[in-house]
This record gives sequence, structure tokens and C-alpha cells, in this order.
Amino acid sequence: MMAVDIVMGLLAASALISVIATVLAVQARDLLKAVIFSALQSVAYTLMYFMLMAPDIVLVYAAVAVGIYPLILILLIKKVGRYEV
Amino acid sequence: MDTEFVRVAYMIVVLSMYVNIGVSLYAALAKPNLVKKIIALTILGDSVNTFIILVGYRFWRPGVFLQPPVLTNLRPTSEVIRQFLEKAVDPIPQALVLTAIVINLAVTVFLATVALHMYRHFGTVNMDVVGRLKRYEVRKEMA
Repeated sequence: MMAVDIVMGLLAASALISVIATVLAVQARDLLKAVIFSALQSVAYTLMYFMLMAPDIVLVYAAVAVGIYPLILILLIKKVGRYEV
Repeated sequence: MDTEFVRVAYMIVVLSMYVNIGVSLYAALAKPNLVKKIIALTILGDSVNTFIILVGYRFWRPGVFLQPPVLTNLRPTSEVIRQFLEKAVDPIPQALVLTAIVINLAVTVFLATVALHMYRHFGTVNMDVVGRLKRYEVRKEMA
């Protein structure tokens, strides 16, 4: 049965992508870049939720983590200043 | 079904969740900028949520194709329910995580408001500078 190999492979691949995106988001000096990398990490987590058989969480999490978090944080960055000292 | 590959992939997933939790915890504690702290806190919450979902997953047995815990048959017989229970993953962690995501959203909005008020009061969101300014203000009040 090949389905389990495909599912677990995609799961591991998106977990590795999320690790890379998290490290990039943490070390970025530009806060706007950090927000974009954290959105990329959220896309990887959305794929993982889909592979873990949780479609209802995908519906909520994609809207919240790719839409509303960057909206709030970009509005905050616009007032607070873009670059971390 | 290659059991060794499945085990290695599962270990990669668990280890990368641990790495994500560690890196975001470091950023939330050690980075001075408040916006960076908020971003790290969202990543930390999402990693813990993914761990909770991973607990509810189940091992693939040969010949069984897993399915989401959604029962589409409106009038199920006991036979349908038995087949559903053999295939579906655990729904309770998913229900808990669905609530936790919304609570995280509310907490993030609150923290963004607090950061904005701190910026209006102190003129910066760098916590090192804010700590120095607070010490200065306290000393001025004591004198």
C-alpha cells in the first residue's frame, strides 16, 4: 500500500519546511520579512493538518494564520517601525 | 508499506516540532523587540497545537485507509459505525485544538494592542530600552 508512504513523506517534508521557515523568521532583522516567513511556516502547518486528517482545522487555521495574524502584525509594524535594532 | 520509512518520517515530524518549540521559545524570551516576541509566541502556540493533533493520529494498518473523523451518513447502522471506528482518527484533540486556535487569535490581538500602547507611552518597543526608561522614571519619582 503506497498511500501511507506518500502521506508520511509529505508530512516529514512539510515539517522540515516549517523548521526552516521558523529559523528564518526568528533571525530576520526586518520585521516584515519575519511576518512573511511565519506565514510560510503556517502554510507548512496547514499541509500537516491536512495530512493528519483534520480538514475542519485546515478551514479555520488557514484563514486565521495566513490571513488575520499577518494583517494584525503588519498593521502593528506600520505604526511601530519596520526594523529591529 | 515500508515500516522503516514510516518510523523515520514520524521521528522527523516529532523532532522538527521539538526544534520549532525550542527556537520559538528562545525568540520569545531572548529577543528584545516586542513584535518579534509576538510572532514567536504565535509559532509556539501553533507548534503545541500540532503536537496535540499528532497525539490523535493513529497507526496505519495494512488494508485500512484512514479517514477524517466526519460521519457523512445521516442515518448510520451499527455496521457503518463499526467500519467508521476502524478507520477514523481521534476527534477529541481536533475539537480542543479548534478552540485553542481561536483563543490564540484573541490573545494575539490583545498583545498587539498592549504593544501599541507601550509604543505610544515610551516611544519604542525595544524591551531593553523600555527597562532602562522605567528604571529612570522610578529613580526620578523616588528622589
